[in-house]
Amino acid sequence: MLTNESTLRILLADDDEDDRTFFSEAIAELKMTNQLTLFNDGKDLMEYMHNPDAKLPHILFLDLNMPYKNGLDCLKEIRADQRFKNVSIAIYSTSSSEKDIENTFVEGANIYIKKPNDFSELKKVIKEVVHMNWQFHSSGLNKETFFFSI
Amino acid sequence: MKFLKLYKNSQVFKIALGIAILVICYLATVFYTQMRELNKSVAIISNSNETQLELEKLLSVISIYETNLRSFIITKDENYIRDRFLSRGSIELNLKNLNNLASNNALRTKDIDSLKKLIDYRFELFRETVTIAKAKKVDFNELNAKLLESSRCTDDMRAFVYETINRERIKVKYHNSNHHFELQGSAATAFLLVILSLLILLLSFNKMRVDLHQLKRANDELKFLNYSFNNAEKIAGFGYWKYNLETKSYTFSDNFYRLMGIDPDKTKPDVSEMGKYLHPDDYERMMKVHNDSLENLEPTSAMCRYVLASGEMRYIMAVGNFTKNSRGQTVKIGVNYDITEQFLNTRELEENNRELQSINEELESFNNIVSHDLQEPLRKIQMFISRLEENETQKLSDQGREYFSKIKLAANRTQALLIDLLNYSRTVKGDKDFEPIRLDDIARQVVHDLANTIDEKKAEIHIGELPQVDGIRFQLEQLFTNLLTNALKYSREGVPPIIHIRTEKIASRQTHNGKPVTEDDYHKVVVADNGIGFKQEYAAKIFYLFQRLETDSKYSGTGLGLAICKRVADNHNGFIKVKAKPNEGAKFSIYFPKNKI
Repeated sequence: MLTNESTLRILLADDDEDDRTFFSEAIAELKMTNQLTLFNDGKDLMEYMHNPDAKLPHILFLDLNMPYKNGLDCLKEIRADQRFKNVSIAIYSTSSSEKDIENTFVEGANIYIKKPNDFSELKKVIKEVVHMNWQFHSSGLNKETFFFSI
Repeated sequence: MKFLKLYKNSQVFKIALGIAILVICYLATVFYTQMRELNKSVAIISNSNETQLELEKLLSVISIYETNLRSFIITKDENYIRDRFLSRGSIELNLKNLNNLASNNALRTKDIDSLKKLIDYRFELFRETVTIAKAKKVDFNELNAKLLESSRCTDDMRAFVYETINRERIKVKYHNSNHHFELQGSAATAFLLVILSLLILLLSFNKMRVDLHQLKRANDELKFLNYSFNNAEKIAGFGYWKYNLETKSYTFSDNFYRLMGIDPDKTKPDVSEMGKYLHPDDYERMMKVHNDSLENLEPTSAMCRYVLASGEMRYIMAVGNFTKNSRGQTVKIGVNYDITEQFLNTRELEENNRELQSINEELESFNNIVSHDLQEPLRKIQMFISRLEENETQKLSDQGREYFSKIKLAANRTQALLIDLLNYSRTVKGDKDFEPIRLDDIARQVVHDLANTIDEKKAEIHIGELPQVDGIRFQLEQLFTNLLTNALKYSREGVPPIIHIRTEKIASRQTHNGKPVTEDDYHKVVVADNGIGFKQEYAAKIFYLFQRLETDSKYSGTGLGLAICKRVADNHNGFIKVKAKPNEGAKFSIYFPKNKI
């Protein structure tokens, strides 16, 4: 999929302005050919997703704790719709609680990223995730490999 | 002993008594028959004697007559014979007596008939002799012939009489000996009868005495039981009541009244009296429960309140069930017991529990705040620090750079503290879903996770054979992570850490909290290092929250790591101990129970 298209479409839904900034700065510094779209909350994200004209993303980075519509609800909604079956979803959250990891795994997220506290680490994470062979990763997916560690 | 047992068995005793009475009846019958026989013998003997007497009398009368006749013949004096030979006088009386005596004896009657004929003949001879002797001219030849005939007749008569007498005498002799024998038999029977009766009397008396004694003892025991029961009631604070469904009558125990604060000796109130002490809010419900149970015969169990005369409120548990009494009547038996103390205690406990729960919930949300919500801004601080570090530090003075690195250190320490706090709070929570876990898997996983630090420190890790235990995976991971991190952290400068994780045998006579710890009950897993160690006297202290031995900034620590280890060991119903020596190393031993408790 990635090989067929020149630009990689990435979405980030996160209510924290700083985190959105860190994320876009990291992507900018990585100098990748991609198209990043940012959303302030789950409601905005889902409005975009349900727009039939919108180009669907390759990877969606999804914060869990968001106003109006939280990440888990978005995840459920997306996974319930066949149209989005090719969208890879990376959970991107401060929480590392078993409950959140378990729930998002069960609901069909592809990977769980705990927000790093170092900028270079953040760049590393984004790089790895973007270049991940999703098909290979998803086929052998289990709870251990679900939680992303560098 | 066996006899005594039989004796005590009243059934056997009854049978024995019956047999004895039958024997007595038999003996009495025998005795009666013997007495009758004896009577008969006596009658026969006396009859025989009288017969003899009469016969002899008869003979003597004849003799007198003969003598008189002779005297007349010699003297011719009429006085000797005056009509005597015409009337037989006393002889007739004798004969009549003899006939009477022989009335039941046909043979004797015949004999007497022949005797009578002889007598008749004799008197004939008397009369003829007298006629001859009276004649004017006595024919002596004729007289002699008559006298001779008379004498012969008398001899015949005498012979006959003696023969009869003899026969009677033999009979008397026979009956006499018989009589003697019968007398002996009767005496023996009578003696037996008396002895047997006496024996039965004695046995019965003794049996009665034993029975009475037993009855008295049973009675005493019953009394004592009753007394104990009454006391038990008082001590245990319960009272019982009975309701006979057939006779529709209630019975209450003494303590039943005492529970209501009534003196049982002074008043014996009925059911309606009870209602007075029942809390008004409970009255209808209790009556309904009771009356319903009388309809459907289901056991009851209900709690109610008594309001005593003093105004005091008591909590009462009332239970009841149905049974049959000895007469087959259905009886409801109920027990009321005072649960005021328990009730109040439980209520207090429940309140405390609720309070604790809310405190726990608060603590948990506090923990969440600390661990999650504080982490969020901290993470951003660290993020900005890393941004500054990358691009801006060159622009700072040396002093500024030093301050900057201190800010970074402090932020990192805060982060470590928050993570440990979160870990600690996770071990406090009561998740106890145990699963079988191989500890060597856990150890390898942890070593893998810590690979970076291990490489950095050039440490050697040896994992020996480790047991499988029932446990909580993330807690056990935490335990090994903390112990390994400690061992790596507190290494001696210039000495690469060598860390052993292995199973050890439990030394004999080892104890924990005063209880023996043996190989049968526990696995002992050891994490030993060759680091800086510490003085053994601090061994107990290091497992407490925020207790740190090393304050040197090169050993960064939160004071939570070992407290978490202790908690994990506790959560697994085990315990953790440590042995250490300064500059030689520390050896942590974790004991896991072998059987799931």
